[in-house]
Amino acid sequence: MKLYRIRSVIRRHTYEVIHNANHITYMVYWPVVNILVWGFFTLYLRHGDALKPGVVSCLLGAVILWGLFNAFQRDMAVGFLEELWSRNLVSLFASPLSVSEYVTGLIVVTLAKAMVGLSVGALIAWLFYHYDMFLMLPMLLPFILNLVLFAVAMGIVVTGLIFRYTTKFQAMAWSFAGILMPLSCVFYPLSSLPSFLRPIASILPTTQSFEGMREVIESGGFSISHFRLGLGLNLIYFIFAIFFFRWMFEAARSRGLLVKME
Amino acid sequence: MLVTVERLTKTYGKFTAVQDVSFVVHAGEIAGLVGPNGAGKTTIIHMMLGLISPNAGSVRLFGKSLETDREQILQRLNFTSPYMAFPVRLTVLENLRVFAGIYNVRDPAAKINELLEQFGIGRLKKKPMSRLSSGEITRVGLCKAFLNDPELLLLDEPTAYLDPQAAVQVRAVLLDLQKSRGTTILYTSHNMHEVERMCDRILFLSKGSIIATGTPIEVTCSILNEDRSAPALEEVFIRIAGRTPDEAVSN
Repeated sequence: MKLYRIRSVIRRHTYEVIHNANHITYMVYWPVVNILVWGFFTLYLRHGDALKPGVVSCLLGAVILWGLFNAFQRDMAVGFLEELWSRNLVSLFASPLSVSEYVTGLIVVTLAKAMVGLSVGALIAWLFYHYDMFLMLPMLLPFILNLVLFAVAMGIVVTGLIFRYTTKFQAMAWSFAGILMPLSCVFYPLSSLPSFLRPIASILPTTQSFEGMREVIESGGFSISHFRLGLGLNLIYFIFAIFFFRWMFEAARSRGLLVKME
Repeated sequence: MLVTVERLTKTYGKFTAVQDVSFVVHAGEIAGLVGPNGAGKTTIIHMMLGLISPNAGSVRLFGKSLETDREQILQRLNFTSPYMAFPVRLTVLENLRVFAGIYNVRDPAAKINELLEQFGIGRLKKKPMSRLSSGEITRVGLCKAFLNDPELLLLDEPTAYLDPQAAVQVRAVLLDLQKSRGTTILYTSHNMHEVERMCDRILFLSKGSIIATGTPIEVTCSILNEDRSAPALEEVFIRIAGRTPDEAVSN
């Protein structure tokens, strides 16, 4: 991998962010809307007496972190779709740029964009609802890392599917994270799922991250087991994602789809 | 040999796009890959670039295989086609800067300005691609193709969207750059007069197979089966377009 080529991919997507207002919408608008809606909802919940302590904070934390995961997976796939829509793939892959260099550059840009969204969400939660995520950030960071790693793996899988099935699969760029949401235990603990779903949910790194996040917020303790399990699962998913992507890419090359994508 | 293609075959299900194609391109020559629509020209170029994997056969560029030396090979060549495009929101300059970075061009600003002037589009550099005409986009593609001073250039219908005046200008620039740098060019076009003017040697394709090779005059005499003092590739083209490869070869 050559750094100058990765830098060029970063430059290409940075130009796109500068010129395309949709990116500002994705980066800022939705995190703001989500945190405002959920924030007001938690204000309403605070009036009740039956809530366990920490529930409101868990909800706000979950909204912010799920926003990060969702944005990362979506922006990675949309970043690739932009090459496809602009018919730029042939020029890119007829150059010395490798697929791994391209994906690395895309991950860097996507990470930067997701961090903007995370910061905006956290800032609004702090300003409007006195929810100080920054205070817990050191203990939340390992779980944020796991969410990002899983989003990268899922982004690679979705990108591979788009390579193979072209724009027929593009709706997945926006909705793939949604498929995982019910089983990721974003807003409720794993124990609240029906027993037959728990084994499936617990092999998702997102579930481990949100379980860990709740422990940080509710008890102030860091759950090393949730972090370790999430990291181990991420390693497995990441290896799977790489092999899956290569398989999809070679299938696309064999079928001549790289030059016919639209 | 700069390019060695051996027994290259590409099929999609029952359809054969390219069948058992072999040819070489020598350093410094302009070779024309010509034939009717669907003859397999673009598929061969895409296989040479590694964008499509062949079912059988091999491509060696600069004596190396794409399977093992993709990065080194693609660093030394470049490509343009009217079918490719650029991100439309980015300006001409931004697009070329991205590719200059990918090819690790030294002093990219100077190189880009030089090429934009050579292809007569210096005034467009701050315009977004979405506001360019097809002919202007073609010329941006040609600028991209010369960014890395390629030793081998694959030009797929490089004048397809150009008006006659612009086409003459672009051909002159291409010939000038080819002479000054000794670039080897593999050229496809449907404009047979252009092929006669540009190419030292042609490879005539029909329905996925090469049916004739040689200088434009040699191919003319061979296919028309008569002595001619000047090439008449358009006549050859029209005659070949309706035949099967077997008929053409047996002739």
